[in-house]
Amino acid sequence: MWLVRPARPDDLQSILEIAGAQGARLSSTLPKQEEALARKIEHSQASFAGANDPELPPRFLFVLEDTRTGTLHGTAGIDSRAGNGQPFYNYRRDALIHASHELGISRRVEVLYPSHGLTDRTLLCSFTTRPERVGTEAFELLSRARMLFIAEHRSWFGSRMVVEIQGVQHENGRVPFWDSLGRHFFNMDFQAADQYSSLLSKTFIAELMPPNPIYVTLLSPEAQAALGQPHRLTVPNLELLQREGFQAGNYLDIFDAGPVLEARTDTLRTLVTSHRKTLHGSHDDSGETCLIAGGEGSGFRCTLARATDTLEGDVRVPVETWHLLEKSAGDTVRMAPL
Amino acid sequence: MLVIRPLQQGDLDDLYAMALNAGKGLTTLPADRDLLQRKIDLAQDTFNQRCEPEAGLYLFALEDTEVGRTVGISGIQARVGLDEVFYNYRLSLTVNASRELGVHVRTPTLQLSNDMTDTSEICSLLLASDYKGGGNGLLLSRCRFMYLDEFRKHFSDKVFAEMRGVSDAQGRSPLWDALGSKFFDMEFGEADRLSGLGNKSFIAELMPKYPIYLSMLPESARAVIGQVHENTRPALRMLQAEGFNFNGLVDIFDGGPVVEAFVHNIRTVRESVTRYVLVTQKPVPLEVPPAERVMVSNRSFQDFRVTTLPTPCVGTETVRMSPAVAEVLGVESGDSVRVAPLKEGGRWPGPAGRDGEQEHETRPGRVRRHRSHSSWG
Repeated sequence: MWLVRPARPDDLQSILEIAGAQGARLSSTLPKQEEALARKIEHSQASFAGANDPELPPRFLFVLEDTRTGTLHGTAGIDSRAGNGQPFYNYRRDALIHASHELGISRRVEVLYPSHGLTDRTLLCSFTTRPERVGTEAFELLSRARMLFIAEHRSWFGSRMVVEIQGVQHENGRVPFWDSLGRHFFNMDFQAADQYSSLLSKTFIAELMPPNPIYVTLLSPEAQAALGQPHRLTVPNLELLQREGFQAGNYLDIFDAGPVLEARTDTLRTLVTSHRKTLHGSHDDSGETCLIAGGEGSGFRCTLARATDTLEGDVRVPVETWHLLEKSAGDTVRMAPL
Repeated sequence: MLVIRPLQQGDLDDLYAMALNAGKGLTTLPADRDLLQRKIDLAQDTFNQRCEPEAGLYLFALEDTEVGRTVGISGIQARVGLDEVFYNYRLSLTVNASRELGVHVRTPTLQLSNDMTDTSEICSLLLASDYKGGGNGLLLSRCRFMYLDEFRKHFSDKVFAEMRGVSDAQGRSPLWDALGSKFFDMEFGEADRLSGLGNKSFIAELMPKYPIYLSMLPESARAVIGQVHENTRPALRMLQAEGFNFNGLVDIFDGGPVVEAFVHNIRTVRESVTRYVLVTQKPVPLEVPPAERVMVSNRSFQDFRVTTLPTPCVGTETVRMSPAVAEVLGVESGDSVRVAPLKEGGRWPGPAGRDGEQEHETRPGRVRRHRSHSSWG
């Protein structure tokens, strides 16, 4: 059985193993250093317990567990406020029309503006799975369990959400956008910058990033082609998020120019289609596979189960699912179709 | 005899022929008869004070009096950026540093600026190729400093010149190819021509307004910023000898440097003196090397004339000249003229005999020493 639950300190080594297998940057918000990761888990635990320090906005880290073996297969996170109390950096891709009436010339000039416009939106982040889980039901469970958590704790999150999707990177580690822009100012390779960005405060970005807008036409052709394009390994995740209702807008990652997806929280598919139900037992394995979540804060659990629901607001699921959710008959759960 | 005088109506054909021969790269004097005629008209209005002093365009012709042909032209634009907008890039520096990471990166940056607005520009220098050498270029260029000095209130305290930037034999500019062409949708020559026609609004409309980080441009383009075209090196050296220096601004199209100087610091201005004309029948050998010649101006606003004489003609109070020279300058014995060395490093007693100038007392030692040697102070 697959279970999504809050990360615990004893998950540390398993998470490091999953994160380490991803190479550079599948998720820069998931640190690959033990100490930083331990701090992140600790902060996540406090957040699940309801801590809300204005200096340190809540950040949640979930894990996907195979309950039969007890092994972890992935992680997923939510930052309640993008930037976590500091500026959240993006480029906003915009256009100016340079037109000369006299010469009959009109030309669209694309410009990348440094932006903090997405700061404080709710951010989905740290999404990583073992390669063999990509595109499976468990993959979907891990990603969408977060939406059910948000639905259950709606007041903890903002009205608009964002997700950063990794951008184009070649097999040899080269990132065309970085090589054409960031490298000149940060004087380091992409991997180093990316690590710093997950480890250090973001001050170094403010210090090193060029403050003025960038004309797209002055980037290398390869970098121009990479603007807003996802890394091919992120496509299953991207498609899942698109089905959820996320759309690419005008924002790009400052390091690799990957797309930033945006959505209104209350229109996300899982939030719209999920309902609260009263839990009842069933003896057979009939019904549709659904996402079922129960529990508040630190007690949050989410799993997949065959369920039959009734018009009276009841849902019947196998008893073993109750145990996973740590719930019993008569308790309230939230369910959404897969 | 070669003499500088205001550009006048009969000069159109000679001017047009010179502009044709000059080819591309001389943006202020395109081979366009209508445009040249308008420039002549404006120059005439300027010398006759029929236009606002700030709008003035002082164009001087170099005439070979023996053949009655105009063989060179040079000019001063009283003020730039008055009715059009005058653009340059300022070459500045952006430093990005992070103490935490031990990173310190310097990025040269081009910032669009209008900093030369309201400043006088020396411009439009062109000399017929068969008259190059023998100090003619020096006369054509430096006569302007005598004029600036004489009529300072008509000009700004600081003057500047835009130097032609690097382009290859086909007229391709590396900076234009890497930067301008991405925004202007036209060839360098075409943009340059439009700009020369005084049609500058298109620059504001099409030009990138945000600073350009040079690290994003190819090496070929970065290398030419602030550099002059090979053919312009002698002109640059001449201006540097006069005290002009690169002021950090470059041309927005080809990256050529802007050089500037304060009028009171220009060498010709510092070293010029006034003398009285002494017309003499005694023959004077006129054919002497540039280093042994002086420029003599008649100090006239409306009919400014300058020619050269051998340095020994300059006495302690007078300048000796033949009736022919006096006629060309439009002066008689007893008239006041201004004299300055044609070439730097030439034999010259120093700036004595300047009328009513208290500032002598504060001049640097080298100049004061010259003064103490002279008998007239």
